[in-house]
Amino acid sequence: MSRLQALAYLRMGWRDWLEQDAPSFGYVFKVLLACLLAMWLSLRLELDQPRTAMLTVAIVMQSQHAGMVFAKSLYRLVGTTAGIFASLLLVALFAQERSLFLLCMTIWIGLCTAGSMVYRNHQSYAFVLAGYTLCIVGLPAAVSPEQAFDIATSRISEILIGLLCATVVSDLVFPKRLGSVMLGAVRRRYRDFTALLHSASNSPSLPLEPMLLHFVGDIFSLESFRASSALESDESRAHRLRLGQINAEFMEVSTTFHAFEQLLRRQKKNGRREVRDEILILYRELGAASTLDGEAAHTEREASSVTARLSQFRSSLEPKLASAMKSLPPDLEPSERLDFETGGELLQRLVDELLAYTRTYASLSKKRGDASPSFSLGVHFDPLAVGLAGARGALALAIMSSIWIFTEWGSGIEAITLCVVTSTLFATTPSPTKTIRQFFTGALIGTMLAYFCNFHVLPHAQGFLMLALAISPGIMLAAWLTSKPETAVTGAGMAIVFLMHAGFGSAYHANPDSFLNDAIADLLAILLSGVLYGLIDLSTSRWSRLRTVSALRKLVVEACREPLTLRRANLEIGARDLVQRSGSARRIGEPEDRLVIEWLLSVLEIGHAVIALRKEMKALDSSEPLNKALEAVAQYFESPSGQTREAAMLAVHAAGSALDASSISPRSHLEIKTMIHFIHSALQDDHSIRAAAAATEAG
Amino acid sequence: MNMPREIALLDALVPALVMAFLAAGVITLILDRILASRGIYRHLWYPALFRIALFACLFSAFGLIIY
Repeated sequence: MSRLQALAYLRMGWRDWLEQDAPSFGYVFKVLLACLLAMWLSLRLELDQPRTAMLTVAIVMQSQHAGMVFAKSLYRLVGTTAGIFASLLLVALFAQERSLFLLCMTIWIGLCTAGSMVYRNHQSYAFVLAGYTLCIVGLPAAVSPEQAFDIATSRISEILIGLLCATVVSDLVFPKRLGSVMLGAVRRRYRDFTALLHSASNSPSLPLEPMLLHFVGDIFSLESFRASSALESDESRAHRLRLGQINAEFMEVSTTFHAFEQLLRRQKKNGRREVRDEILILYRELGAASTLDGEAAHTEREASSVTARLSQFRSSLEPKLASAMKSLPPDLEPSERLDFETGGELLQRLVDELLAYTRTYASLSKKRGDASPSFSLGVHFDPLAVGLAGARGALALAIMSSIWIFTEWGSGIEAITLCVVTSTLFATTPSPTKTIRQFFTGALIGTMLAYFCNFHVLPHAQGFLMLALAISPGIMLAAWLTSKPETAVTGAGMAIVFLMHAGFGSAYHANPDSFLNDAIADLLAILLSGVLYGLIDLSTSRWSRLRTVSALRKLVVEACREPLTLRRANLEIGARDLVQRSGSARRIGEPEDRLVIEWLLSVLEIGHAVIALRKEMKALDSSEPLNKALEAVAQYFESPSGQTREAAMLAVHAAGSALDASSISPRSHLEIKTMIHFIHSALQDDHSIRAAAAATEAG
Repeated sequence: MNMPREIALLDALVPALVMAFLAAGVITLILDRILASRGIYRHLWYPALFRIALFACLFSAFGLIIY
């Protein structure tokens, strides 16, 4: 018996190891293989800097998925090519005049950093690369202009070799496909969401923000996977369209879910108990219908049976609402009756959206299906933040190059390169100062290892095999650190610095003096960019948060004022994108970031009501009071204060009572009425972030 | 058949092998699309290996033509 038990434990341990540790080992092995392959090829082809090829491998293989490596390689190629052309141009123009050369370089790097803030993911990376390739190629070429062309061609060959090795190895050796990862993410999210809906409908006072926030991050990571999977072949391509649709539908359903929850919370405080109880009964039925016996659907097949249950529930919802309406106590006031109607309206919308989401999800496993045209994420950014980031990148270069010029520093080029790399590469991370600290730790470890390797191991090495053995430990340690999410940046720092210092080209050429000089220069450069990140802090400072909040509020103002009815998807994606960029979504724990998050949820809540209202308003004959109400809401969101809040509430109330229903169908009349009521009750809510902001402005 | 071993591209001499490499890459991509749309990859044990082998065959064939 005990032997059987021991065997079972062993098997369990083995499975755990396979699931958790084996991928890391596989990754370390892959990075090592690709690095050594790149080194061998560049030595074989007699290029001067095998380390550039290895560095490329290490940087491109930061991500473990084959599709991500492809995408990163492609953009790296684009970025590098742009950078090389720019440096050849600059060398041709200003090689004799270094201050002009550096000035143009500063402008170029500022522009590239700004560009990297505007675009997302790998496109942003291409901009970073176009920037710092100028340091890698342009600076050495400017120092010896007669060799500019040779330097450019050998750098680009080395980088190409690195890219090829990295992509071939990640595609061939234990490939991790993005398609399966995305499918897993979509499944998990569906499960989480329905489970959340189920538990929220059963215990109404559950805190929901952390989960909703988690979903915001999910939407963007899925979108970035989706963009990269274009380069992976086979079935991932077929999934792409439907995944985009699923993402859009999920955003809508999660917003409606939050709005509905907020309504329930308000009704608990102010409304009649009977009204809330009736809605809760139906809500509980929805929770039951969206799951299978309280269990969230695990597979697409289970989701199809959930679809059937949901559509059944949907068709029975309207009669149920009508009968519940009749069973309400007769002494209800009109506004309380409206409370119930609003709840019913939102519930119907929630069911509709959930049904659409589930249907798309259930059709995911089918080989072919009709996917509706995909939506585009668009670009939403804060011009001032982008400008400041560009200024920061340019400033880093300007400071370093003036130190280089005025002190005649031997390691100036080295320092400038790393300073520009670090001050542009991390500009888009959620908190650059923290990232740079980890990078610095990695750089320290890398420097020490490189010293040991260069002066104690390499001198004894003979032949390719021993060379490979000598540098393997450093690469493996860096790759192992990279494979763990919490030390990934440390690993990157270590890999970059270690490989930059590796003291061999076509022959051994390390010398302790220049090594120490370069090492000090590198560490100083990282420190300087850390200081700059601290000084021009665009993501964790209070100022930047307030800017994000006001940009969020502007979305509601636009929804109220723009002549064309804003598409709902634009609001959803715009608001989430702003928050994602500010990095708050990844720092939920901090109280200041809660401010941003609460504003996000509140903007989505009001914004979607405004858009629904405006859609129905088009049929209305005289929409004058409604327009006034929307204008008042817009003013309130422009400058939240007790006064504007009061005015908005009054105007919305007036619009509600002046509503003329003669020209429209009863259905849209109900819709308009309930949306007005929803906005009014949301404005009335003293516990929301809006009320808090109004109070602080007034006081 | 003798092909030039170096090609002047904007007055810079580029080995003809580089061009062969690029051409082989493009042809592989096109073939890959066709094979994927016909669903041929479902019958293969390791599509990634097949692709790289296809590329290697094409590239070597071009190389043999050049030299």
